[in-house]
Amino acid sequence: MEEKKLKIMVIDDENIVGKRLKPALEKTGDIVETFEDGEKALARFNESPFDIVVTDIRMEKIDGIEILEQINAKSPHTKVIIITGYATVEVAREALSKGAFDFIAKPFKPGDLREIIKRASKELRA
Amino acid sequence: MPLIILSSNSKEEEKEIAKKLLQVKGYGGVDPGILSEVEAKYHIDTGKLAETLEQTPSFFEKMMSGKWQYRLACIEAEVIERLMKDNTVCWGLAAHLYVVGISHALKVRIIHANQTRIENIVEQQGIPVQRAQKWLDTENQRRKKWSLAAFNRDETDPSEYDLVINLDQIDLNEAVLTINGAASYRKFQPITYSMKSLSDLALSAKVRTTLLKSMQDIRVQTIDGTVLVFTKAFKQKKIEKIKEIKDLAGKIEGVRGVEVHVTNNLFGDISGNANS
Repeated sequence: MEEKKLKIMVIDDENIVGKRLKPALEKTGDIVETFEDGEKALARFNESPFDIVVTDIRMEKIDGIEILEQINAKSPHTKVIIITGYATVEVAREALSKGAFDFIAKPFKPGDLREIIKRASKELRA
Repeated sequence: MPLIILSSNSKEEEKEIAKKLLQVKGYGGVDPGILSEVEAKYHIDTGKLAETLEQTPSFFEKMMSGKWQYRLACIEAEVIERLMKDNTVCWGLAAHLYVVGISHALKVRIIHANQTRIENIVEQQGIPVQRAQKWLDTENQRRKKWSLAAFNRDETDPSEYDLVINLDQIDLNEAVLTINGAASYRKFQPITYSMKSLSDLALSAKVRTTLLKSMQDIRVQTIDGTVLVFTKAFKQKKIEKIKEIKDLAGKIEGVRGVEVHVTNNLFGDISGNANS
């Protein structure tokens, strides 16, 4: 039986990140939507939840940790993966405490993110 | 699962807590027993390695010979390699000073209050309180000096740790329960970022060990497999040194690239050693 396609949301205010990740993540046949504005992304999530959310931390209107908290409150089964160019032990620990599934420092290879998504998908389907 | 790194001013109790944690959690242990394997790998006497973890060479000795730093680097490389496996309790190897920036490493300091330590010294050594106080002050200063000289970190500073347990207030079994509880916090679970950081730390340690075998004054940082080496050289020897470092480091498995940053060895230039 064919596995259900995953719905993946990518949020990063740097346009290039979404542009690069979308085709890389769609390779596995999953549905990927990208957003540069965290508020718009949350509004979209409220309309229709996603299985996996990949979000940057430092963004202007709303930061990634707040997005993580809101998504966890609304949809506890959604796996939130944090990506950041400003990784520190403190931020990583805060993200994990608040329920992030994983945390990866930028720059990373799309393959690294695909590996994390593979693990997240395994947990979602378990 | 996390790494638990213990440090203490009471070695016996540190060991006892570590052993109990191994039982409770079913983890593997990394302890001073690995020094014999460092001896086998790097041909350095175990006694000398143990001494390296305790004694600080004088400024002059450090300037003239890089052997102390080399021995430290060998211990560090061996310990970090073992910490690449999760579910480990590590003690007695100063890992709290060089396993830095790893979010899944829970660093614990186990202490006794100075008053209790003085009472113990009076009892064990049969000396008056005033002499015991002086002995303890010297001992505390010695450890601070050693940790700063070895890894530029002050091991007596509580902010270096995630958890500090005072055995005068929390008994040994409670300490084990407390550490076990803290280790189960989600924030101490391995993540992609922390595993990559640990892997970079392991590569840095390997490169440093290789370079310090024949050189001095080497700092190494690794970012995602790219190794940055910081060193000093006499003006006339800069190009030669960069080539040597790139050749040596480039051969190490896992190194994707080497960048060498050299500053002038002013001391050598001024004293006319540039051509020596």
